[in-house]
Amino acid sequence: MVEDCNIKKLRNNCFRQSKVPGEFMLQLRVPGALIDAKWLDVIKHVCQTWGDGTFHLGMRQTLNAPRIKAKDIPAVNEYIQPYLQAVECDMCDVKMQTKDGYPYIAPRNIMACIGGIHCIKGNVYTQRLAQKLEKLIYPNPYHIKISVSGCPNDCGKGHFQDFGIIGCTKPIYTIDRCIGCGACVRKCESAATRVLSLNDKNKVEKDPCCCVGCGECVTACPTGAWRRPAKDFYKIILGGRTGKQYPRMGKMFANWLTEESVLSIMKNWPKFSEWVLGGKPIYIHGGHLIDRAGYQRFKDFMLDGVNLNPEAMIAENINWAETEYRSNIHVKPLDKHLSVK
Amino acid sequence: MKHAQTYQLTVNEMNEFLEQLSKKYDIYAPVRISCGGRYAKDDSIIYQPINTYQEIEFHERSTYPLKEVLTPITQTLFYFTEDEFKESKSPQKDVLIFGRACDINSIKIQDQIYLQNGGIEDYFYKRIRDKIKFILMDCPEQFEGCFCCSVGANKTDMQSLAVSDNNGSAYVGIYDSDFNNYFAKYSAVDHEIQTPLENELKVDYPVIDNLDLANKLKEHPMWKEFDARCIGCGSCTVSCSTCTCFETTDIVYTQNAHIGERRRTCSSCMVDGFDKVAGGQSFRKKTSEKYRYKILHKVYGYNARFHTGPMCVGCGRCSARCPELISYPATLNKLSQAIKEIKGGVQHD
Amino acid sequence: MTNNPVKPTACKLLDIMPQTQTEWTFRVKNNLPIKHGQFMQLSLPKVGEAPISISGFGDGYVDFTIRKVGKVTDGLFSLKKGDNIFIRGCYGNGWPTEQFKNKTVVIIAGGTGVSPVKSLVNMLCEHSNYARNIYLILGFKNSHSILFADELKKWQTASHFHVIYTLDDENYPGFKKGLVTDFIKEIPFASFDNEYECIIVGPPIMMKFVGMGLLMNKVPEKKIWMSFERKMSCGIGKCGHCRIDETYVCLDGPVFNYTIGKKLID
Repeated sequence: MVEDCNIKKLRNNCFRQSKVPGEFMLQLRVPGALIDAKWLDVIKHVCQTWGDGTFHLGMRQTLNAPRIKAKDIPAVNEYIQPYLQAVECDMCDVKMQTKDGYPYIAPRNIMACIGGIHCIKGNVYTQRLAQKLEKLIYPNPYHIKISVSGCPNDCGKGHFQDFGIIGCTKPIYTIDRCIGCGACVRKCESAATRVLSLNDKNKVEKDPCCCVGCGECVTACPTGAWRRPAKDFYKIILGGRTGKQYPRMGKMFANWLTEESVLSIMKNWPKFSEWVLGGKPIYIHGGHLIDRAGYQRFKDFMLDGVNLNPEAMIAENINWAETEYRSNIHVKPLDKHLSVK
Repeated sequence: MKHAQTYQLTVNEMNEFLEQLSKKYDIYAPVRISCGGRYAKDDSIIYQPINTYQEIEFHERSTYPLKEVLTPITQTLFYFTEDEFKESKSPQKDVLIFGRACDINSIKIQDQIYLQNGGIEDYFYKRIRDKIKFILMDCPEQFEGCFCCSVGANKTDMQSLAVSDNNGSAYVGIYDSDFNNYFAKYSAVDHEIQTPLENELKVDYPVIDNLDLANKLKEHPMWKEFDARCIGCGSCTVSCSTCTCFETTDIVYTQNAHIGERRRTCSSCMVDGFDKVAGGQSFRKKTSEKYRYKILHKVYGYNARFHTGPMCVGCGRCSARCPELISYPATLNKLSQAIKEIKGGVQHD
Repeated sequence: MTNNPVKPTACKLLDIMPQTQTEWTFRVKNNLPIKHGQFMQLSLPKVGEAPISISGFGDGYVDFTIRKVGKVTDGLFSLKKGDNIFIRGCYGNGWPTEQFKNKTVVIIAGGTGVSPVKSLVNMLCEHSNYARNIYLILGFKNSHSILFADELKKWQTASHFHVIYTLDDENYPGFKKGLVTDFIKEIPFASFDNEYECIIVGPPIMMKFVGMGLLMNKVPEKKIWMSFERKMSCGIGKCGHCRIDETYVCLDGPVFNYTIGKKLID
C-alpha cells in the first residue's frame, strides 16, 4: 500500500520527493558553502542511519541525503536541529524555529565560490555576504536563487541565477610605482576586457568605463602599482535561469555597488514578491516574477528606500535574450495569459 | 656588533625622539599598507616616511626592499626645456632609515654599482646616499625563507642607531655619537641588541669561480623547467634588495610639448625588452634564459667583477613575492648540483 | 656636487646628410677628444636617450649615422639644421688603433655596422702609411641600404685599399652579390706574414659567422676585434642593461678582442 505523504508539505520542509514512493531526499542548506568540517559527520550520520548510505552533493551546494523514508522524517529533523541552529541561527543570524526542520524551501540555498579566503582571483569574502543575504531572504515563502562569486570569473554561475552577485574591485593605480612592464596590460587583454594600454610615457592608461572589476591587473603587477582598495564592490547579474521553457542568461542590473547597497536592495525582494503574487506565495521561480511585473516595476520596488553608494550604476533597461525552444513562446491565447486580465 | 650604550624608551618617548629627529631628518621605515598586497585583503609593507613609532612594522618582512628610499621605482632626474637639462631637487634634509641587517647590507651592494663601478659615481644616488644614516632593526622573529646568515648579511656595522621593539617600549642602542645628546636625560640599561645568529633555512650558496664554468652552466639543462614555470613578471627583481637596473625615459607635459622630464624607472632583466636594442634584436628571448641571467648575476657576475661575495643578502623577498612559487634557495641548490656535475664531467645532451 | 655624468649638454646640429631613405648622418658641434669606435649617449628632449656609435669626427664636430628605428631615432629624423641636440660621452674603449700600426688591417662590416668603423677607415685611408694594406669587405642588404656612398668610392680608389662591396640579394654595379662571409676566402691571409689584425662589426649573427669564417682561414683569435651593440640606459655602468656576466659593454667595450668576445654569452 502506498504510504500517504503530503509531498508539498515535505518539500517545504526541504525533503524532495523521490521516484520511489515514500522516499525523500533531505537537502541541508549551506549558505555561502563554507562550514566547519565537523558538520560532515551530521550529514554522514543521516545518510547512513536513515538513508541508503549514499550522499549527494547538491547542485546548489546543499548536503543531500537520498532515500529517507517519510516515517523517519521527524527523527531526521530532530537530529539535524543542532545543525540548523548553528548554521542558520548562529552563523547567519536567521530568526527561525529549528525543532521541526526547515520551514521553507522557496529561497534556495545561497551559493558561493570559495572567494577571497582562498582563491587568488577572489576580490571579496563571498561567504560573509552569502550569510548576510541568508538573513534577508530566509525563512520566506518566496522563491529566489542567489549566488555570490568572488570575481567576474563567476564560478558561482551568477549568470544563471535570479540574482548573481559578483565581487569586484576598483583598483587604485600608483603611477610612481609603475615600471611600465605591461604585465597588467597583457593580463587585461588575455583575461579581461582590454581596458588597459601603455601610453607614450610608458605608464598605464585605463578605460574605466569597460573595466569589469576583476583585479587581474593587481595580481599581475610586480611592483604593487595596482592595488585593491579596502572597499569591496559588487555587480548584480539579474534574471538568469535554466529551465524547460525560457532559459536565459542574466544581464547586468547593477554595477559598482558596495555591500551595503547590495544588502539594502536585496532586502526588498520579499516585498516585491509579495506584491507580484498578491500576497499568495505560489510555487513559481523568482525570475518569472520579474517578467510578470516588468523590469521597470521591479527596479522601482528593489530600489525603494535604498541609499545607493555614489559609485553605483543601475541598468536603465534590460533586454534579456532567451533560448526559444518554440518560436513566439510568449504569444498565448488570453485565457492562458498570466498578466492580461 | 660593537657593544653600544643602550636605553629603554616608552612609545611616547620614542615618538618624542622621532619628533626631535624629524627637524634634521626625513625618517623612513617599513610601513603596513592596508590591502596593498597582491591578493584580496592582503596587506603590503613598503618603506615610507614616518612620523611616529607605531607606524613602523616590526613583525613582518617588508614586501618591498629598503633600496626604494635611495632609488625610488620612478625618479625624476632632470626637468628639461629646449636648451637646458636641470637636475631635480636634492633631498633637503638628512635621511634616517629603519632597516634590518640584511636591508642595510644590501646598500653596500647598491653602493658598489652606483658609486664604484667603472670608477664613476652616479650623481642622483650619491646625493641621497651621502645624507643617509641607518637605524638597525633587530630580528627577534625571523620570517619564512630568511637566510641572511648563509651569505654573511646578518651582521652590520653601518648603523648609527639600533632599535628593538619590546611590546610597548623600545630599546635604542647608540653607535654614532651624533645622537648622544638626545639621550642625555635617560640612563643606560644593560641590554644588547642582537641581529640573527642562525636561520632555520640554511643555504649552501654556490660558488662559480670562473667564466668558463659560468658559460658551461648556461648550457646546463637545469634552466629548462623555468620556461614553463617562470612567467617573467619581474616581481623577484623589484622586491630584490640588491637588484639595481633601471631604464631612462623622457616624458613631455601634455600641455606643453617643449618641456618635460627625464625619469629613471626601475627595470627588470626578467621582463621582455630589457635587452632589446634599437633595431629590435634581443639576446635572451626565452624566460629560462632571463631567469638564468638573473641567477648567474647574483651568484657569479657580480662577484667576478667586484670580488666582494654574492649579490644577495638572503632577505628572502624574491621567493616570497614569486607568484609562481619558484624558490630561489631551491634554484641555488640545483645550481650547486649542476656545478658538481660539470666539475665531475657529467655530460648532458 | 657639480659633476653629473648623466647630464647631457646641448650641442648645435651643424648638418644633416641623408645616406639612404632611412639612414641619415647627423653632424653635431663637438670639441671633446674622441677615439675611433667610441659611442655617445644622444638624447632628444621629449623622446629619450640612446647609445649611438660615432661614425666620424673632425675639427669641431662629431657625426652620428643613425637608422630610423626605435623611438629615439624617429624623433631625430624630424630635426633641422641649427636645432639643439643633447649629447654626453664619449663612452667606451674604441678600437685599439695602436695595434694596427704598420700591419695589414682586414675590416669586415655589415649594414649599420659600418658606422662604428667608418672614422677608422677614413683615418687609415688618409694616412696611407699608418697601416700597410687595408682589406675591406662591406656588405649591405640591397642597393637602397648602401651607406656612405661617397666614402665607398674614395676607399675603392685608395691605392693601399683592397675592397669588396657586397649586396645580400641584388645585382648592382660595383657590388658583388652575396653575404660578406662568402668573400672571406678572397683575403690572402697567408701573404700577410702574420702582421695583420681583423675587425668585425655588424649584427650579432653576422659577427658570429664572420668570426667562424676567419677562424677557418686560420686567423688566430687574438687578431680578431669586434664591436658589441647592447641596450644601454646610462653608458656608465649603472643601468645594468649591457652587462654580460662580469663585463659591462659600456665600460669594458664596446670593442672586444675575440678571445674575450667569444666568451661573452648573453
